[in-house]
Amino acid sequence: MKIAGVHRELPVVQVGPEVSVALFNMLGDTEVVEEAAAALAQRMPADIDTLVTPEVKAVPLAHALSRLTGRPYVVARKTEKPYMINPVSRTVISITTGKPQLLVLDGTDVPLLKGKKVAIVDDVVSTGSTLKGLSDLITDVGGVVGAVMAVFTEGSPRDDVIALGHLPLFKPD
Amino acid sequence: METYPITIGKITRHVPVVETLPGVHIPLVEIMGDVELVQAAAEALVKHLPPETDTLLTLETSPIVLAHAMSAISGKPYVVVRRKRRPYMQDPIIQEVESLTLGVTETLWLDSRMAEKLLGHNVALIFDVVSSGGTMMALEKVAKKAGANVVARLAAFHQGTSKLPLTALSEIPILQTA
Repeated sequence: MKIAGVHRELPVVQVGPEVSVALFNMLGDTEVVEEAAAALAQRMPADIDTLVTPEVKAVPLAHALSRLTGRPYVVARKTEKPYMINPVSRTVISITTGKPQLLVLDGTDVPLLKGKKVAIVDDVVSTGSTLKGLSDLITDVGGVVGAVMAVFTEGSPRDDVIALGHLPLFKPD
Repeated sequence: METYPITIGKITRHVPVVETLPGVHIPLVEIMGDVELVQAAAEALVKHLPPETDTLLTLETSPIVLAHAMSAISGKPYVVVRRKRRPYMQDPIIQEVESLTLGVTETLWLDSRMAEKLLGHNVALIFDVVSSGGTMMALEKVAKKAGANVVARLAAFHQGTSKLPLTALSEIPILQTA
Protein backbone atom coordinates (compact mmCIF):
# COMPACT_ATOMS: atom_id res chain seq x y z
CA MET A 1 0.00 0.00 0.00
CA LYS A 2 1.26 3.46 -0.89
CA ILE A 3 0.72 6.18 1.69
CA ALA A 4 1.71 9.64 0.45
CA GLY A 5 4.52 8.10 -1.58
CA VAL A 6 5.70 5.73 1.17
CA HIS A 7 5.25 1.97 0.70
CA ARG A 8 4.04 -0.22 3.58
CA GLU A 9 2.91 -3.86 3.69
CA LEU A 10 -0.24 -4.00 5.85
CA PRO A 11 -1.12 -7.23 7.68
CA VAL A 12 -4.66 -8.51 7.02
CA VAL A 13 -6.25 -9.29 10.38
CA GLN A 14 -9.59 -10.92 11.14
CA VAL A 15 -11.66 -8.62 13.36
CA GLY A 16 -15.06 -10.34 13.18
CA PRO A 17 -16.65 -13.64 12.05
CA GLU A 18 -17.14 -12.38 8.48
CA VAL A 19 -14.62 -9.62 8.07
CA SER A 20 -10.89 -9.00 7.97
CA VAL A 21 -9.23 -5.63 7.61
CA ALA A 22 -5.86 -4.44 6.38
CA LEU A 23 -4.42 -3.22 9.64
CA PHE A 24 -3.04 0.28 9.28
CA ASN A 25 -1.30 1.41 12.42
CA MET A 26 0.80 4.52 12.03
CA LEU A 27 1.63 4.80 15.73
CA GLY A 28 5.41 4.74 15.75
CA ASP A 29 5.68 5.19 11.97
CA THR A 30 7.10 8.70 11.87
CA GLU A 31 7.80 8.68 8.13
CA VAL A 32 4.21 7.77 7.20
CA VAL A 33 2.77 10.29 9.67
CA GLU A 34 4.96 13.13 8.44
CA GLU A 35 4.38 12.37 4.74
CA ALA A 36 0.63 11.94 5.25
CA ALA A 37 0.46 15.19 7.22
CA ALA A 38 2.32 17.05 4.45
CA ALA A 39 -0.06 15.65 1.80
CA LEU A 40 -3.16 16.43 3.87
CA ALA A 41 -1.91 19.94 4.70
CA GLN A 42 -1.89 20.74 0.98
CA ARG A 43 -5.49 19.57 0.60
CA MET A 44 -6.86 21.20 3.74
CA PRO A 45 -9.48 23.89 2.97
CA ALA A 46 -8.02 27.33 3.69
CA ASP A 47 -10.87 28.40 5.99
CA ILE A 48 -10.28 25.72 8.64
CA ASP A 49 -9.63 27.19 12.11
CA THR A 50 -9.14 24.10 14.31
CA LEU A 51 -8.37 20.39 13.96
CA VAL A 52 -10.13 17.74 16.06
CA THR A 53 -8.86 14.19 16.38
CA PRO A 54 -9.96 11.13 18.37
CA GLU A 55 -7.32 9.52 20.57
CA VAL A 56 -5.10 7.50 20.14
CA LYS A 57 -3.68 6.50 16.79
CA ALA A 58 -4.41 9.70 14.85
CA VAL A 59 -2.94 12.03 17.50
CA PRO A 60 0.58 12.18 15.99
CA LEU A 61 -1.01 12.96 12.60
CA ALA A 62 -2.97 15.83 14.13
CA HIS A 63 0.17 17.07 15.89
CA ALA A 64 2.15 17.04 12.62
CA LEU A 65 -0.70 18.62 10.65
CA SER A 66 -1.04 21.30 13.31
CA ARG A 67 2.69 22.02 13.18
CA LEU A 68 2.56 22.33 9.37
CA THR A 69 -0.62 24.40 9.09
CA GLY A 70 -0.38 26.51 12.26
CA ARG A 71 -3.95 25.50 13.23
CA PRO A 72 -4.48 24.30 16.81
CA TYR A 73 -5.72 20.77 17.45
CA VAL A 74 -8.05 19.32 20.05
CA VAL A 75 -8.07 15.67 21.12
CA ALA A 76 -11.39 13.95 21.79
CA ARG A 77 -10.61 11.52 24.61
CA LYS A 78 -12.09 8.05 25.06
CA THR A 79 -12.62 8.45 28.79
CA GLU A 80 -13.70 11.37 30.86
CA LYS A 81 -10.71 12.63 32.88
CA PRO A 82 -11.15 13.83 36.45
CA TYR A 83 -9.47 17.15 35.62
CA MET A 84 -11.84 18.02 32.75
CA ILE A 85 -14.01 21.09 33.22
CA ASN A 86 -17.59 20.83 31.87
CA PRO A 87 -16.81 17.87 29.58
CA VAL A 88 -19.09 17.14 26.61
CA SER A 89 -19.49 13.53 25.50
CA ARG A 90 -21.08 11.15 22.97
CA THR A 91 -21.15 7.36 22.72
CA VAL A 92 -20.39 5.61 19.41
CA ILE A 93 -19.94 1.96 18.39
CA SER A 94 -16.38 1.32 17.22
CA ILE A 95 -15.77 -1.07 14.33
CA THR A 96 -12.35 -2.18 15.60
CA THR A 97 -13.55 -3.10 19.07
CA GLY A 98 -17.28 -3.66 18.42
CA LYS A 99 -17.99 -2.02 21.75
CA PRO A 100 -19.61 1.28 22.70
CA GLN A 101 -16.98 3.96 22.77
CA LEU A 102 -17.21 7.25 24.58
CA LEU A 103 -15.86 10.42 22.97
CA VAL A 104 -15.25 13.32 25.33
CA LEU A 105 -14.21 16.92 24.79
CA ASP A 106 -12.79 18.94 27.65
CA GLY A 107 -14.86 22.09 28.22
CA THR A 108 -11.64 24.12 28.24
CA ASP A 109 -11.20 23.27 24.54
CA VAL A 110 -14.65 24.57 23.58
CA PRO A 111 -13.41 28.13 22.76
CA LEU A 112 -11.27 26.58 20.01
CA LEU A 113 -14.42 25.06 18.49
CA LYS A 114 -17.35 27.38 19.16
CA GLY A 115 -18.15 29.42 16.05
CA LYS A 116 -15.13 27.89 14.29
CA LYS A 117 -14.65 25.90 11.09
CA VAL A 118 -13.35 22.54 12.23
CA ALA A 119 -11.57 19.75 10.35
CA ILE A 120 -11.87 16.23 11.76
CA VAL A 121 -8.56 14.35 11.42
CA ASP A 122 -8.42 10.55 11.69
CA ASP A 123 -6.22 7.70 10.49
CA VAL A 124 -8.95 5.54 8.94
CA VAL A 125 -12.61 6.41 8.33
CA SER A 126 -14.50 3.12 8.01
CA THR A 127 -18.16 2.85 9.00
CA GLY A 128 -18.10 6.50 9.94
CA SER A 129 -19.40 5.89 13.47
CA THR A 130 -16.52 7.74 15.11
CA LEU A 131 -16.92 10.45 12.49
CA LYS A 132 -20.63 10.81 13.26
CA GLY A 133 -19.94 10.97 16.99
CA LEU A 134 -17.25 13.60 16.53
CA SER A 135 -19.41 15.65 14.14
CA ASP A 136 -22.27 15.64 16.64
CA LEU A 137 -19.91 16.66 19.45
CA ILE A 138 -18.47 19.53 17.42
CA THR A 139 -21.97 20.70 16.47
CA ASP A 140 -23.09 20.39 20.10
CA VAL A 141 -20.45 22.91 21.19
CA GLY A 142 -21.22 25.36 18.38
CA GLY A 143 -18.59 24.40 15.82
CA VAL A 144 -19.06 23.77 12.10
CA VAL A 145 -17.44 20.71 10.52
CA GLY A 146 -15.74 22.12 7.42
CA ALA A 147 -13.78 19.04 6.37
CA VAL A 148 -13.01 15.45 7.27
CA MET A 149 -9.43 14.40 6.59
CA ALA A 150 -8.05 10.88 6.87
CA VAL A 151 -5.16 8.82 5.60
CA PHE A 152 -7.56 6.11 4.42
CA THR A 153 -11.22 5.48 3.84
CA GLU A 154 -12.19 1.84 4.35
CA GLY A 155 -15.02 -0.38 3.12
CA SER A 156 -17.37 1.62 0.94
CA PRO A 157 -15.68 4.49 -0.86
CA ARG A 158 -16.96 7.86 0.33
CA ASP A 159 -16.60 11.29 -1.21
CA ASP A 160 -17.21 13.30 1.98
CA VAL A 161 -13.70 12.56 3.23
CA ILE A 162 -10.40 14.05 2.03
CA ALA A 163 -8.33 10.85 2.01
CA LEU A 164 -4.98 9.78 0.62
CA GLY A 165 -6.06 6.21 -0.15
CA HIS A 166 -8.72 3.52 0.22
CA LEU A 167 -8.63 0.19 2.04
CA PRO A 168 -11.01 -2.64 1.05
CA LEU A 169 -12.56 -5.04 3.57
CA PHE A 170 -11.60 -8.72 3.18
CA LYS A 171 -13.42 -12.02 3.69
CA PRO A 172 -11.53 -14.28 6.11
CA ASP A 173 -10.20 -17.59 4.64
CA MET B 1 -8.57 29.45 38.71
CA GLU B 2 -5.22 28.90 40.41
CA THR B 3 -2.41 28.35 37.94
CA TYR B 4 1.26 27.42 38.07
CA PRO B 5 3.92 28.42 35.53
CA ILE B 6 5.79 25.63 33.78
CA THR B 7 8.65 26.32 31.40
CA ILE B 8 10.48 24.39 28.71
CA GLY B 9 13.17 26.44 26.95
CA LYS B 10 11.51 29.67 25.84
CA ILE B 11 7.96 28.37 26.25
CA THR B 12 6.03 29.09 29.46
CA ARG B 13 2.50 27.89 30.17
CA HIS B 14 0.33 28.77 33.15
CA VAL B 15 -1.32 25.43 33.85
CA PRO B 16 -4.29 24.82 36.15
CA VAL B 17 -3.62 23.52 39.66
CA VAL B 18 -5.95 20.65 40.54
CA GLU B 19 -6.64 18.93 43.85
CA THR B 20 -6.05 15.21 43.27
CA LEU B 21 -6.43 14.12 46.89
CA PRO B 22 -7.67 16.21 49.83
CA GLY B 23 -4.93 18.76 50.52
CA VAL B 24 -2.76 17.62 47.60
CA HIS B 25 -2.67 20.06 44.70
CA ILE B 26 -0.71 19.45 41.53
CA PRO B 27 -0.05 21.61 38.51
CA LEU B 28 -1.75 19.74 35.68
CA VAL B 29 0.43 19.33 32.63
CA GLU B 30 -1.15 18.32 29.31
CA ILE B 31 1.26 18.44 26.40
CA MET B 32 -1.17 16.91 23.94
CA GLY B 33 -2.62 19.67 21.79
CA ASP B 34 0.28 22.03 22.54
CA VAL B 35 2.49 21.81 19.47
CA GLU B 36 4.89 24.57 20.56
CA LEU B 37 5.56 23.04 23.96
CA VAL B 38 5.98 19.55 22.50
CA GLN B 39 8.40 20.76 19.83
CA ALA B 40 10.43 22.67 22.43
CA ALA B 41 10.58 19.63 24.73
CA ALA B 42 11.46 17.30 21.85
CA GLU B 43 14.29 19.54 20.66
CA ALA B 44 15.72 19.71 24.19
CA LEU B 45 15.29 16.00 24.94
CA VAL B 46 16.90 14.65 21.74
CA LYS B 47 20.15 16.24 22.96
CA HIS B 48 19.98 13.81 25.91
CA LEU B 49 19.56 10.74 23.69
CA PRO B 50 22.68 8.59 24.01
CA PRO B 51 24.24 8.11 20.55
CA GLU B 52 23.82 4.33 20.83
CA THR B 53 20.01 4.66 21.10
CA ASP B 54 18.26 2.60 18.42
CA THR B 55 14.60 3.10 19.30
CA LEU B 56 12.38 5.29 21.46
CA LEU B 57 9.81 3.55 23.66
CA THR B 58 6.78 5.31 25.07
CA LEU B 59 3.23 4.57 26.15
CA GLU B 60 -0.16 6.00 25.41
CA THR B 61 -1.52 8.60 25.49
CA SER B 62 -0.02 12.05 25.89
CA PRO B 63 3.72 11.17 25.62
CA ILE B 64 3.05 9.81 22.11
CA VAL B 65 3.23 13.28 20.56
CA LEU B 66 6.55 13.89 22.31
CA ALA B 67 7.95 10.58 21.05
CA HIS B 68 6.70 11.38 17.54
CA ALA B 69 8.35 14.80 17.56
CA MET B 70 11.61 13.36 18.95
CA SER B 71 11.50 10.66 16.28
CA ALA B 72 10.96 13.23 13.52
CA ILE B 73 13.95 15.25 14.74
CA SER B 74 16.34 12.39 15.53
CA GLY B 75 15.35 9.96 12.75
CA LYS B 76 15.03 7.18 15.33
CA PRO B 77 11.87 5.05 15.26
CA TYR B 78 9.50 4.80 18.21
CA VAL B 79 7.23 2.12 19.63
CA VAL B 80 4.07 2.78 21.67
CA VAL B 81 3.03 0.49 24.52
CA ARG B 82 -0.76 0.43 24.92
CA ARG B 83 -2.85 0.72 28.07
CA LYS B 84 -5.57 -1.54 26.73
CA ARG B 85 -5.57 -4.83 24.91
CA ARG B 86 -6.35 -4.23 21.23
CA PRO B 87 -8.28 -6.87 19.24
CA TYR B 88 -5.47 -7.32 16.69
CA MET B 89 -2.78 -8.08 19.25
CA GLN B 90 -1.07 -11.46 18.99
CA ASP B 91 0.77 -12.95 21.95
CA PRO B 92 1.24 -9.55 23.61
CA ILE B 93 3.63 -8.71 26.41
CA ILE B 94 1.51 -7.94 29.48
CA GLN B 95 2.81 -5.89 32.38
CA GLU B 96 1.03 -4.69 35.51
CA VAL B 97 1.68 -1.16 36.78
CA GLU B 98 1.50 -0.31 40.43
CA SER B 99 0.28 3.26 40.28
CA LEU B 100 0.88 5.07 43.55
CA THR B 101 -0.93 8.20 42.47
CA LEU B 102 -4.26 6.54 41.75
CA GLY B 103 -3.92 3.44 43.92
CA VAL B 104 -5.36 1.31 41.13
CA THR B 105 -3.66 -1.31 39.06
CA GLU B 106 -3.11 -0.64 35.41
CA THR B 107 -1.92 -2.98 32.70
CA LEU B 108 0.40 -2.30 29.79
CA TRP B 109 0.13 -4.24 26.53
CA LEU B 110 2.59 -4.60 23.67
CA ASP B 111 1.74 -6.58 20.55
CA SER B 112 4.40 -9.19 19.72
CA ARG B 113 4.86 -7.64 16.26
CA MET B 114 5.87 -4.41 17.97
CA ALA B 115 7.97 -6.22 20.60
CA GLU B 116 10.02 -7.80 17.79
CA LYS B 117 11.17 -4.30 16.82
CA LEU B 118 12.80 -3.92 20.25
CA LEU B 119 14.71 -7.23 20.40
CA GLY B 120 18.41 -6.52 20.97
CA HIS B 121 17.84 -2.76 20.66
CA ASN B 122 19.11 0.03 22.86
CA VAL B 123 15.95 1.91 23.82
CA ALA B 124 15.28 5.28 25.43
CA LEU B 125 12.10 5.53 27.51
CA ILE B 126 10.14 8.72 26.74
CA PHE B 127 7.63 10.35 29.13
CA ASP B 128 5.79 13.64 29.39
CA VAL B 129 5.49 13.62 33.20
CA VAL B 130 7.08 11.18 35.65
CA SER B 131 5.77 11.32 39.18
CA SER B 132 6.15 8.27 41.43
CA GLY B 133 8.02 6.32 38.75
CA GLY B 134 5.63 3.35 38.89
CA THR B 135 4.72 3.65 35.24
CA MET B 136 8.35 4.18 34.31
CA MET B 137 9.36 0.98 36.09
CA ALA B 138 6.58 -0.94 34.35
CA LEU B 139 7.65 0.35 30.94
CA GLU B 140 11.21 -0.66 31.73
CA LYS B 141 9.97 -4.20 32.48
CA VAL B 142 8.13 -4.28 29.13
CA ALA B 143 11.38 -3.27 27.40
CA LYS B 144 13.32 -6.03 29.17
CA LYS B 145 10.65 -8.65 28.38
CA ALA B 146 10.97 -7.64 24.73
CA GLY B 147 14.74 -8.21 24.90
CA ALA B 148 15.71 -4.53 24.78
CA ASN B 149 18.41 -2.72 26.72
CA VAL B 150 17.28 0.54 28.39
CA VAL B 151 19.97 3.19 27.82
CA ALA B 152 18.05 6.32 28.88
CA ARG B 153 14.93 7.49 30.71
CA LEU B 154 13.86 10.92 29.50
CA ALA B 155 10.94 13.10 30.58
CA ALA B 156 9.78 16.62 29.87
CA PHE B 157 8.71 17.00 33.52
CA HIS B 158 9.47 15.37 36.84
CA GLN B 159 6.76 15.94 39.41
CA GLY B 160 7.43 15.59 43.13
CA THR B 161 10.49 14.54 45.09
CA SER B 162 10.96 10.89 44.11
CA LYS B 163 14.59 9.95 43.45
CA LEU B 164 14.59 8.29 40.06
CA PRO B 165 17.21 7.45 37.44
CA LEU B 166 15.65 9.99 35.11
CA THR B 167 16.66 12.96 32.97
CA ALA B 168 13.93 15.61 33.11
CA LEU B 169 13.86 19.09 31.57
CA SER B 170 11.80 20.68 34.30
CA GLU B 171 10.78 20.03 37.91
CA ILE B 172 7.16 20.50 39.04
CA PRO B 173 6.19 20.52 42.71
CA ILE B 174 3.37 18.72 44.47
CA LEU B 175 1.69 21.48 46.48
CA GLN B 176 0.34 20.64 49.94
CA THR B 177 -2.17 22.71 51.85
CA ALA B 178 -2.66 22.53 55.59
